[in-house]
Amino acid sequence: MFATVVGSYPKVPNRPRPARLRNAINKLDRGAITQAELDTVADEVTIEALEEQAAAGLDLVTDGQIRWEDEQTYFARELAGISINGLIRWFDTNMYYRQPVVEGAVSWQKPVTVRDYSFAAEHSAKPVKPVLTGPYTLARLSVDKHYHDNESLALALAEALNQEAKALEEAGATLIQFNEPAILKQKDDFASFAAICRRLVDGLTAETSLYLYFGDAEGIYPQLLELPFDLIGLDFVMGAANEALLRSAPFTKKLGLGIIDARNTRLESPEQIAERIRSLSDGVDPENVHVSPSAGLEFLPREVAQEKLRLLAEGVRKAEGVLV
Amino acid sequence: MTKGLITTTVGSFPKPPYLQKARNQFSAGKLSREELDELERQATREVIALQEEIGIDILVDGEMARGDMVVFFAEQLEGMEAGGLVRSYGNRYYHKPVVKGRVRWTAPMTVDMWRYAQSLTDKPVKGVLTGPYTMVEWSFVEGYDDFRSAVLEMARAVNYEALELERAGAPFIQIDEPALSTRLEDIDLAIEAMGIATEGLNAQTATHICYGDFVSAYPRFLDMPVKQFDLEMANSSHDLVELLKTKGFPEDKEIAWGVVDVHSHEIETVDQVVAEIKRGLEVLPPERLYIDPDCGLKTRTWDESADKLRVIAQAVAQVKSELGIE
Repeated sequence: MFATVVGSYPKVPNRPRPARLRNAINKLDRGAITQAELDTVADEVTIEALEEQAAAGLDLVTDGQIRWEDEQTYFARELAGISINGLIRWFDTNMYYRQPVVEGAVSWQKPVTVRDYSFAAEHSAKPVKPVLTGPYTLARLSVDKHYHDNESLALALAEALNQEAKALEEAGATLIQFNEPAILKQKDDFASFAAICRRLVDGLTAETSLYLYFGDAEGIYPQLLELPFDLIGLDFVMGAANEALLRSAPFTKKLGLGIIDARNTRLESPEQIAERIRSLSDGVDPENVHVSPSAGLEFLPREVAQEKLRLLAEGVRKAEGVLV
Repeated sequence: MTKGLITTTVGSFPKPPYLQKARNQFSAGKLSREELDELERQATREVIALQEEIGIDILVDGEMARGDMVVFFAEQLEGMEAGGLVRSYGNRYYHKPVVKGRVRWTAPMTVDMWRYAQSLTDKPVKGVLTGPYTMVEWSFVEGYDDFRSAVLEMARAVNYEALELERAGAPFIQIDEPALSTRLEDIDLAIEAMGIATEGLNAQTATHICYGDFVSAYPRFLDMPVKQFDLEMANSSHDLVELLKTKGFPEDKEIAWGVVDVHSHEIETVDQVVAEIKRGLEVLPPERLYIDPDCGLKTRTWDESADKLRVIAQAVAQVKSELGIE
């Protein structure tokens, strides 16, 4: 069984620890430091995130997406055909992102996240999985002034992400994750989504995973299990209905269990977590179960996120019977 | 002559740079509470003076003591606290509040500042509160097993504050629910909570909400137990006019028509604002049509805010004289 995360990790700690990344970005904006100096701070904060995840007891970690301004901008702005526009609310959260504007044909130009992955892998005590926002979600959250058709745009983005994933494979990534929360808001698009996913993973040899959160998969389960991914992660906090779905048809892939609330500071106990794991992963081989928070952790203060991960890992060890 | 086209604002004004600096110094422990209070009062005097000079009819204190609209109350209510830093976008962070235990109102939170602002002017000053749904939706909830109980108990706390404002003499009380836009399926809960929050009030009540919600949940939204809907229009008044023409609008309710876009640096022209006001007059008589910016002004600069309000005042004066409105 794996204790893991869905993607982001909080970038700044609370007092008395210094908000180094925040301060460095402010200094860059004032012209007081160079981009290279900011990059060094981002590297150091990435190492902190890796160390905190390992210290919490996770088995599989991410780079925390420390450099990402939001889930869209970091990748999208490096693609040909896309510019970045004003702020807009991210789903039903109290966070905002800058909306990508598609002004021409979208194409991949150069690796965007490969250096981040390599840096993290090199500095991590635990295996690192690269996490990318999927093509459907990127398309849905963009303004399309070129394709005038969400599927065409998403297919072009899938092609770009496919090239990024291949570059990540070349850098040594053995598991690549795609986050696609938007499909849960537009389940009617599932047939189109399946075609987009096929383009996304075409020719990849690494294992792949798909994480769906901020809702349930009612209406697209068990069809979901036909998608070309090795692992599918679901949100059992905002998607309470997922529990009944799991019982309605056998889960034939590796299972991602998003069971601790990434959007509330209330702590879950290891006993509760272990019990949830046991009841939800019934019928799935334990080594195919990845237990995580319900979504990325940037909605939480850093210290709460770390504590939640510690409790999560403890719950996983209990579920495995390693801890009593 | 009919009366009407009363001008107001949504609530917040930009904090002058000296107050921003003082707030930072205060949180770093380099400035005393008393020194910060005095600067908040100085800024409040400037906000009142600006509104009087421009000729706004119903004033606000500008919320000079408030940072975030939820955190300000969270720091004072029993059962709540300002939590750790959470990023909102880019390099911006805020202390997202936590509902730790049972929420209880213990003492007035906004009344001193309201009273101070009212002491500076003969015009009415509006009391502005954050609504119970928004208070809870924009916080972490640890102290309740279900969201609904937290919202309803929060509503009671908001009600105590509203009653205190009324007792102090506030003739208008506005209770804002911008968070509804994220989850409009909670409209029934928000309406129920507003019922509690406004219980026993004789003051004129209003709520500031996003225009899109009002339209999507129309006419259910009209059950929100307030007299006035203050709408963040975001340049969509055409659709609203069509909606009200086809579906009607109750005669005992009012709309505050947001005629300038507070999210844009650009200053609207008097002609643009005149046209907006006239669109409002297509569906509402002037005495039930209030005119204001479409959201709080705190994200604009002081000069942009003043310029936008001046354009509103000029446009209203022009329409009034054209149509013979007092």
